[in-house]
Amino acid sequence: MPKLPRPGAEQNRCAQYNAPDRLRGCTSSERGNPNRGFRTAFITRSELPAGPGRWRTCPPPDVGVSAPSQELLLAGVLLMSACYGIGALSCLLAPWSGRLALGVGHLAALAGGLAGLGVSVAILLGDPGQTLAVPLPDLFPFARLSLVVDSLAAFFVLVISLVAIAAALYGPAYLRAHSPDAAPARQAAQALGLNVFIACMVFVCCAGDALTFLLCWEGMTLASYLLVVSEDRHGENAHAGLLYMVMTHGGTALLLVAFLSLTERAGAFDFTALRAAAGNLDGVTRTTLFFLAFGGFAAKAGAIPLHVWLPRAHPAAPSHVSALMSGVMLKVAIYGMLRFGFDLLAPAAAPLPSSWGWTVLFVGTISAVLGVLYALQQHDLKRLLAFHSVENIGIILIGVGLAMILWRREGAGGALATVALTAALLHIANHAAFKGLLFLAAGSVLARTHVRNMEDLGGLARRMPWTAGLFLLGAVAISALPPLNGFVSEWLTFQALLGGAGHFHGPAGLGIVFSAPMLALTGGLAAACFAKAFGVTFLGRARTPEAEHATEAPPSMIAGMVWLAVLCVALGVAPGYAIRLLDAPTAALLQGPGASAVVTARGPLVLSTALTTSGMDATAISMTMMAALLIALTGVAWVLRRGLRRASQRSAPTWTCGMSPTARFDYTATAFAKPLRLVFAALYRPRREVIRETAGTPYVFRRIHYAGEVVDLAETQIYHRVQRGITALSRSIRARSTGRIYGYIGFVLGALFVTLLLFGVGQR
Amino acid sequence: MTGERPLGLVLLEMILLVLIGPLVTGVIQKLKARLQCRAGADILQPYRDLAKLFRKGTVQADTTSGFFRSIPVLVLAATVAAGALVPVLRAGPPAFPLGDALMLLGLLALARFLTAVGALDAGGAFGGMGASREMTIAPLVEPVLMMVVFSTAMAAGTTELGALAAHRGTSWIFAWRAADFLAFAALLVLLPAETGRIPVDNPDTHLELTMLHEGMLLEHSGPGLGCMVLASHTRQIVTLGLGAALFFPIGPTDGPGVMGLAVGAGAFAGKILALVIYLALVESSYAKLRLFRVPQYLGVGFVCALTALALRIL
Repeated sequence: MPKLPRPGAEQNRCAQYNAPDRLRGCTSSERGNPNRGFRTAFITRSELPAGPGRWRTCPPPDVGVSAPSQELLLAGVLLMSACYGIGALSCLLAPWSGRLALGVGHLAALAGGLAGLGVSVAILLGDPGQTLAVPLPDLFPFARLSLVVDSLAAFFVLVISLVAIAAALYGPAYLRAHSPDAAPARQAAQALGLNVFIACMVFVCCAGDALTFLLCWEGMTLASYLLVVSEDRHGENAHAGLLYMVMTHGGTALLLVAFLSLTERAGAFDFTALRAAAGNLDGVTRTTLFFLAFGGFAAKAGAIPLHVWLPRAHPAAPSHVSALMSGVMLKVAIYGMLRFGFDLLAPAAAPLPSSWGWTVLFVGTISAVLGVLYALQQHDLKRLLAFHSVENIGIILIGVGLAMILWRREGAGGALATVALTAALLHIANHAAFKGLLFLAAGSVLARTHVRNMEDLGGLARRMPWTAGLFLLGAVAISALPPLNGFVSEWLTFQALLGGAGHFHGPAGLGIVFSAPMLALTGGLAAACFAKAFGVTFLGRARTPEAEHATEAPPSMIAGMVWLAVLCVALGVAPGYAIRLLDAPTAALLQGPGASAVVTARGPLVLSTALTTSGMDATAISMTMMAALLIALTGVAWVLRRGLRRASQRSAPTWTCGMSPTARFDYTATAFAKPLRLVFAALYRPRREVIRETAGTPYVFRRIHYAGEVVDLAETQIYHRVQRGITALSRSIRARSTGRIYGYIGFVLGALFVTLLLFGVGQR
Repeated sequence: MTGERPLGLVLLEMILLVLIGPLVTGVIQKLKARLQCRAGADILQPYRDLAKLFRKGTVQADTTSGFFRSIPVLVLAATVAAGALVPVLRAGPPAFPLGDALMLLGLLALARFLTAVGALDAGGAFGGMGASREMTIAPLVEPVLMMVVFSTAMAAGTTELGALAAHRGTSWIFAWRAADFLAFAALLVLLPAETGRIPVDNPDTHLELTMLHEGMLLEHSGPGLGCMVLASHTRQIVTLGLGAALFFPIGPTDGPGVMGLAVGAGAFAGKILALVIYLALVESSYAKLRLFRVPQYLGVGFVCALTALALRIL
C-alpha cells in the first residue's frame, strides 16, 4: 500500500532521494498478506525531511532506460540459479570425461555470472526503493525461506558476477596447465565446488530471512573448503583447510547467537520481523548483538586479529578460486556487517551508538597497517596477495566505520556518511577487480613455472609479456596510484576522513584524522611491496630453469585477466558512472541522498565533495581529465625521447663493476624488504639465526647458515598463548583420567550434586 | 577572491614549471658552490646537460624487458601532470576541475613507483639497492606530507590547491597561528626528503652505498636519461610550488590581465628563491644521514605535523 506524503512536506520532484518508512508488512512473504505468492512487492517511501539545500540538486539525467518489469527480473534470477545448478550437476559427467565436466561446469558458471550481471545492473539502475522478493519452496515447517533482492544485495551480486565471469573464463585452462594429471573425481569436485560456491555467495547476499542466510553461509564455507583442499600438496593444504574451517565455524557460531537472539524475540525468521523485533531492544542488548555479529563477520572477512586463516587458505586454493575468495567472499562478510549495522539492528531514528563506528574504524586501521606490513615480508606470491586482502578489508572497514560514526549526525554529517559509504562500496568493487586480476596473474605464473617463491623466479616479463603487463596494471591499481581505480576509492576515503575530522572537535576528531596518515602509510607500503613483487618475479634474470623455460599463459586465461583489467581502467578513468550505480544502495541503506548527489553533483566526469557546509567550493577532481592529460603528456614525452634524429642504439650487459653479470647479482626480495624490516622491527620482532661452521681455527669459516623469519604477531601473542592454555588445561584434565572406575563415579556424583544445587534451587 | 583559472593558464603554468625547473637546480648548485668557496658551474648548466643527453645515443642493458623503454616517458608524463595542479601565477580553482593535493601526491608516487620498477628491470645490484632504499623512505614521507596538507586544508575547507590559495589570501600571511608554524616546520623537514637532497640523499654522488635516487637512474642513458633528469628537476619545483601554495599564498590574486600575471610570476619567483636558499644552506651545512637514521629525522617532521593537526582540531 503506498503511503501518502505528509501534509506540508515539501514536494520534491526527485523522488528517489526520499527516506523510507520502516517496512511494516509490505512484502508479500508476510503471512497475513493476501498477495502472498509469486507476486513481488513495491516498497514506497515518504518525503525526506528538509535538509541543507545543497542536496536538493537533481541527479544527472537518466540514461533513458525504463525500469524493467518484475517478471523479467524474476526470470533473470531463475536463469542465474539454473545456470549454477547445471554447473553443479555437471560433476556427474566426470565418470565419462573429467575435462568435459570441468568445461561444462565453468561454462555454466560463466552464463550464471552474465545473468547475475544483467539482473543486478537492471535493479541498480531502477527505482532505489524497488526490491525483488522471490519466495522459495517450503523446506522447513517452522520458517519460510525467501530471497529479497534490494539494491544493496544487487550491488554485491554485481561484484560477485564480475569476478565470477573472469574466474569461469580462466578456470579450465588453469586447471589443465597446473594439474594436468588430476583424477576425474578431483575435476568433478572442482566443477561442483565452484558453482555451489558462487551460487551460495549470491544467495547469501539475496537472503530475505535468517535461515536462508545461514544455510547459504554454511554452503559457501563448505564449498570453499572443498576447493581449498582439492589440490593436496603434502598435507599442508589439509592443514590450511582445517584452520579455515575451525575459524569460520567459530565466526558462524557468533552469527548464530546473534541471529537466534533476534529470531527468538521476533518469533519468525524473515528480516522484516527481525527488524521489527530489534526496534524494541534496549541499548546494551543491541550493542552486544552487534558486536557478536561483527565478530562473526570479521572472522570471515579476515580483519586482524581474526585473519590467521587467510594467508594459509587463499594460497592453497586454485588461483581462480583464490581470486573469488579474496575478491568476493570477504566482501560477503562486509555485506553482512552492513546489513546488521545499518538495517537490522539500527535504531529507528537515532544515530548509531558511538562504540560501533569507532570499533570498526579502529579495527580497520589496524588491519590496514598490519596487513601491508606482513605482506611486505612474504616471498610467496599468493601469500603476499592474501595479506594485501587483509589490508584492503581494513580500508573498507575504515569507510564503513566512518559511515557508522557520521550517520544521522546533524549538520553535514549526513552527506559525509554517504561519502564514506560510497568510498567503502566503491573500494569493494575496486578491490574485487584488482585483487582478482593479481591472483589470476599470479596463478598464470604458477601454472607455467610451478614455482611459488618469487626468489626462484625472475626474468618472466620477456617470456610472459601479457601476464607481466597485466600484473603491473594490477600493481599500480592496488597501490592507489592515479589514474586507476584504487586511487578513486582512497581519495573518497580521505575526503570522508577530512570532513569527519572537521565535523568533530576534540579527541574524537583527532582519532578520525589519525586514520588518514595511517591510510597514506599503507598506500606507500603497498607501492613498495608491489615494486618488490613485480620486480623480483618478472624483471631481472631468470634464477631457476623453471623460470627460464616459462611460456605465456593460454588465451582463455589472458581473457579472464583482460576482463578484470578493463574493469580496473574503466573504474579509474570514469568512476562517475560506477557511482551512478551506487545511488540506489547508499540511498536505501542510509535513507539520505544517493551517492551521485553527493559525489558527482557536477556531472559524471567530476568527483566533488563539499567538506563543510559554510558555502565553500567543493573539492573537485576529474579522473577523466587527468587521464586525458596523462595520455597527451605521454605522447609528447615519447616524441621527446625519440629525439629529433634517430640516435644510435645499442645493447650491452648490465654494469656490475666489471664482472660478467649472472643471476646472482640481482637484488633479492629479502634484501629489498630488509630496510623496512629494520625500520618496523618493533612490530615485526624478526627472528634471526646465524650458524657459522668453522674449519680448524675459529677465524676460517667453512659455511655460514642464515635463517631469518618474520612471524605474525597475532599468531605468537594471541593464538599460541590460547593454544598453550588449552593444551595445559587438557593435560591437567587428562591427569584426572586415572582409569579407575571409582574416580569416575565420584566425578559424576559430584557433577550431579552441583547441577541440582544450581538449577534445582531455582525451581522453588 | 575566488576567481577561476582558465584551462589555458593552467597549461601555461605547467609548461612554465617544466621550463624553469632546471634553472632552480642550477641556482641551488651555484649557491652550494659559493658556500663551499668554489666558483661553481653556470646557473644555466642543467639546460646544457639536458641538451647533451637528448643528443646522445642509448645503451640499453640486455636483460631489460619491454617496459624499460617506456619508463622514462611515463615518469616524465606523471611528473609534468603533477605540475599542472600547482597554482603558480594566479590563485583560484581551475575552470574545469583537474586535481587536488592528494592527486598531486598520488602522481608523484606513481612516478616514484615506475622509477623503482625500471631500476629493477636491468638486474644488477645498483638498481635494486637504489629502488629498495627509495621505497623505504617513500612510505615514511607520505604520511607526514599528508598530515601537512590536511592541516592546511582543514583551515581552508578544501584540498584543491588553487582554491586553498585563494581562500587564504594575501593578508593571511600575517595571521599565522601555531598550527601553521608547526606544519611549516614539518614541511621544511620533508623538503630534502622529497627533493632527494642532503641530509636524506646525495644528488651528486655515484657511490652505490650513498645513492638513492641516482641509483635508480643508473641504467638509463641518452634521451631516456634526459627524460628522467628533467622529471627530477620538475619534481623538485613541483614540491617547492606545493609548499609555496600551502603556506605563502601571497602574490597570486585574480588581478586582471598581464599586470596580475606579472605580479604573480614575481611573487612565485621570490617564494621559490627563499625555499631554494633554505635547501642550499641545509645541503651545505649537514652531512648525509645513514639510511637507518632517516626515519628518526622524518620522525621530527611527523611529530610537528601531528601536533599541527591536533592544534587545528582541538
